[in-house]
Amino acid sequence: MTLIAERPLSTAAEAPVVPPAKIAVRDLDFFYGKAQALTRVDLDMPANAVTAIIGPSGCGKSTLLRAINRIYELYPEQRAVGEILIEGENILSPHYGLSRLRRCIGMVFQKPTPFATTIRKNVAFALSYYERLSKSELADRIEAALRQAALWDEVKDKLDASALSLSGGQQQRLCIARTLAVKPEVVLLDEPTSALDPISTAKIEELIHELKQSFTIVIVTHNMQQAARVSQRTAFFHLGELVEAGETSQIFTNPHVQRTQDYITGRYG
Amino acid sequence: MQQTHGHTLKAFDQDLGELRGLIVNMGAFAQAAIEEAMRCLVERDTSAAAELVQADEQLDELETEAERRVVELIALRAPMADDLRDVIAALKIAGVVERIGDYAKNIARRVRRLPPKGEIEPLSLLPEMAKIASGMVHDVLVAFDQRDPVLAQSVCARDDALDDFYESIFRTLLTFMMESPQNIGPSTTLLFVAKNLERIGDHATNIAEMVYFAATGERLATPAE
Repeated sequence: MTLIAERPLSTAAEAPVVPPAKIAVRDLDFFYGKAQALTRVDLDMPANAVTAIIGPSGCGKSTLLRAINRIYELYPEQRAVGEILIEGENILSPHYGLSRLRRCIGMVFQKPTPFATTIRKNVAFALSYYERLSKSELADRIEAALRQAALWDEVKDKLDASALSLSGGQQQRLCIARTLAVKPEVVLLDEPTSALDPISTAKIEELIHELKQSFTIVIVTHNMQQAARVSQRTAFFHLGELVEAGETSQIFTNPHVQRTQDYITGRYG
Repeated sequence: MQQTHGHTLKAFDQDLGELRGLIVNMGAFAQAAIEEAMRCLVERDTSAAAELVQADEQLDELETEAERRVVELIALRAPMADDLRDVIAALKIAGVVERIGDYAKNIARRVRRLPPKGEIEPLSLLPEMAKIASGMVHDVLVAFDQRDPVLAQSVCARDDALDDFYESIFRTLLTFMMESPQNIGPSTTLLFVAKNLERIGDHATNIAEMVYFAATGERLATPAE
């Protein structure tokens, strides 16, 4: 008699190995003028994994992304104190060039923000800013980025059509392609699907799952199911403090801090 | 960890409360069935015992209802953390309580196998044992209702007493059977009853472990056998 064949199981249940941190936030305070938005945040975000940042409005999660890509420097009254280390190097240091940082870190926003030009130029724009490429190299890189963003098949025959003619979900994937084109190491996603329908959302989530093979991904989301679906680690912020960070499966099945439990079960406030 | 306050979405609290109530009702039903089965056994009340066997269907229906509600709750409310653990525990407990009901039914079934009159000596120990078993079922459901890990733990601790009872009833019945071959029939019946009660205790202990996990998120450390 033949036995029932044993099927291999995913080894997710085995002792979690915390991968080395790609991004390490150390003792970070952040101020909007006199108002403190982040207080003494310490958080590790591992490479080749998705870290989800969750928390109620005003908890500091978007502020954290603003600090990581130093977008706040545009506003003189905003400042960050502490360290954000990417592979051990403090990116908040004035010696760390902004152009180098922009190249290392890509960001995708809540609402799709395509440039009002062709699909091709949307992706080519940053590429030709950072690199001198021949026409054929440029075409290859555009195709690669659009493929990575799972948009190529839908747009390959209309690369010179206006980006604004695309659907919301396609526009968001175009923005992701634009971000990926310059080969960043870290991709920050600030509520990337909050303006999208469920099918477009599923496509972006599948894309995030693919992208984590090659990038370090940090996603801010209000949708806890989304955090649970796409991330390997989850960090919960409340009132500018990091309350709890851990394996996503632990945070959603057995959070260790009362405030985390209240928030994720819907007992907050 | 305590549940400090209700959900922002009140209907969620209501759904969880009703599921909890349904499981508690199932437990109350099973506990009453154990006690009634034992009364039938002691008083040789064969007609009430037959009714009790019939009534077990209601418990099966309650289990189906609990399953339906759990599936609906997971689909519609997407429970997380302690809520998720509670809902999964409810589903598992419903199945175990249904099994406990089956053991009570088995006891009721055996009533007609005993001789109608006359004292059978070892029968005096069984009601005491049944009291412990039904007490465990009662307390473990209270522990589930109140998310009380300490009470759940105390239920586990009582299982040893039940096992000791079973051992001593087993020996008594063995001696009794050796005294006279006539005793073999009724003694075997009582031995099955004792075994059923012992199994009820094991199931109550399983529920206690589920309650402990649902309430704390930790596994209850079971002493090595």
